[in-house]
Amino acid sequence: MNTIVHRAILATGFILAATASQADTSDKRIALSNNYAGNSWRQAMLKSWDKVTRKAVEDKIVAAADAFTTAENQVTEQAAQIQNMILQGYNAIVVNAASPDALNGAVKEACDAGIVVVSFDGIVTEPCAWRIAVDFKQMGKDEVLYLAKKMPEGGNLLEIRGLAGVFVDDEISKGIHEGVAENPQFKIVGSVHGDWAQDVAQKAVAGVLPSLPEIKAVVTQGGDGYGAAQAFKAANRPTPLIIMGNRQDELAWWKEQKDANGYETMSVSIAPGVSTLAFWVAQQILDGKDVPKDLTVPFLRIDQDTLEANLETTEKGGVANTEYSLEDAQKVIGGM
Amino acid sequence: MTALRHLLRKPWIGAYAGALAIWLATVAFTEGQGGGGVLTAALSFATFSVLVAIGQMYVITLGPGNVDLSIPATMTLAGAVSMKVMDGNNAMIVPGLAIALGCGAGVGVFNYGLIRLLRIPPIIATLSSSFLFLSAAISYSRGLRIKPPPLLADFTTWIVWGVPVLAVAGMVLTFVMSVILHRTIFGRTVTAIGQNARAARLAGLPVDRVRFATYVMCGMFAGLTGYLVSGFSGGAALNMGAEYLLASIAVVVIGGTSVAGGFANLPGLWGAAMLLFLLVTMLNTYGFGAGIRMVLTGVIIIAVIAVASGRRPSG
Repeated sequence: MNTIVHRAILATGFILAATASQADTSDKRIALSNNYAGNSWRQAMLKSWDKVTRKAVEDKIVAAADAFTTAENQVTEQAAQIQNMILQGYNAIVVNAASPDALNGAVKEACDAGIVVVSFDGIVTEPCAWRIAVDFKQMGKDEVLYLAKKMPEGGNLLEIRGLAGVFVDDEISKGIHEGVAENPQFKIVGSVHGDWAQDVAQKAVAGVLPSLPEIKAVVTQGGDGYGAAQAFKAANRPTPLIIMGNRQDELAWWKEQKDANGYETMSVSIAPGVSTLAFWVAQQILDGKDVPKDLTVPFLRIDQDTLEANLETTEKGGVANTEYSLEDAQKVIGGM
Repeated sequence: MTALRHLLRKPWIGAYAGALAIWLATVAFTEGQGGGGVLTAALSFATFSVLVAIGQMYVITLGPGNVDLSIPATMTLAGAVSMKVMDGNNAMIVPGLAIALGCGAGVGVFNYGLIRLLRIPPIIATLSSSFLFLSAAISYSRGLRIKPPPLLADFTTWIVWGVPVLAVAGMVLTFVMSVILHRTIFGRTVTAIGQNARAARLAGLPVDRVRFATYVMCGMFAGLTGYLVSGFSGGAALNMGAEYLLASIAVVVIGGTSVAGGFANLPGLWGAAMLLFLLVTMLNTYGFGAGIRMVLTGVIIIAVIAVASGRRPSG
């Protein structure tokens, strides 16, 4: 009895909170400042943003949620873009930044103008902004931990890294190396840069592969697993266990192998829909909610048993995705 | 002895010598393991760099200021459109190829229109048009990756006795383009324009028509490469052309073609393309960090160009 009453009170509270939030932010305008759109992940990110925010605008939760992308992936261009947004009078700016610190000046200007700045994926270090960060290091480490469970006898690993000089690449790689240090039965015998692109990864792996000993597994960063598989095939080498990165071509290839010979692996990456999480966080801050400055998004991980379900919902040629709802955002804010 | 001296004076010798040295250094490090496999891979990937570089080389030969920076966008557009039209259907391979070439030709026509009619310098014209074409590719394919027809994928990755068939086809095409450059009026006009555009015009050569044809041809080579790369790597990706911008220019220059125009060299393209691929492979095999790799790539390219240009005949 007690619990029912409790739940009822809680539910009423939630409904009240929800109605209140709709009233409070219905005249607020949110802008997305995005630095790059030239790959499938970013395209999916923009599409998710469009889908979720369009609904939010229709439901009168916010007045506007416009997305802007810079053409050149340049810091100066994005800084100018943010300054324009300040002049246009947006109440909040959600930003996927070209650089963690070079935009701090523009971000500070926005904060001083009373604008809420929420950065995600490419986060900014300026203290006045919110950060929705991904624990990329843990993601790299998780790959090795999965391998340690899968093949306790260990073996040679090939590491495919991302774009040299980018923070994300360093973090994932650090995590992988930390995992290998804790599991000395594994040895990284080769490391190449695949730039998160299948064709670049294919090229880099094809070059280095002939000179490498037998490879048991390939640790990757996403967007490079299919290219690696192609390179192994072209070189007539046995296909190792390749960690995938949630791209549809990778999942489709995995499914093909799974059906043909019971191939087992896992796939992990960040859902492009993280942009929608950032949107809801911005909305919650505008609503007056107390939101911690540093939030962490969960990874989207696909395992042997969830492969089919995810493959089905992923658009052909796209990336496995999740869009976040207001409730998801509240959960992340609550640290759950 | 004179034969050897004659050989050493060839402008492309630097590229081949560099490629050989780098290959030997790689094989020495792995104690002979995988030397042949590395060469097979190098031939496969060099083919793509050479194909875009042939078009770029003709454009650069037109003289100072002539360069096509829209190659990556053209590749992406041609790859995306042709993959979507073929939609994995073997019967559509030939129409798909025609569409890829058509996209390339369209880009060339548009580029030359900007250059000639609006009098925009080629660097600016091709750079700005590439934004248009990349945007067109993005809105057309919406960032999705469509698989190539299986037959095309098999053809582009077909290897016989360690030699990629595509590379052999590329070499034949290189030879044909070499004959066109040296033995036809079109090719000689390209060289003449590059050496002195004013003199070429006064001599009654159709300067505008030849420049137009060269830009269209360059676009078609980029379109063809976009089509083949998409077949080779399992689909067109939005960023697939990115690494071919610098590569197309570097391969032309390292191969012994004068960047000031008027002096082209086709055999050198293969040496240069192999060199660039083997260089990355060597540095990967040695296990250097990304920073050192980039520094060494720069140093070695400068060294090869310095050595190669030292042997170039004057004038």
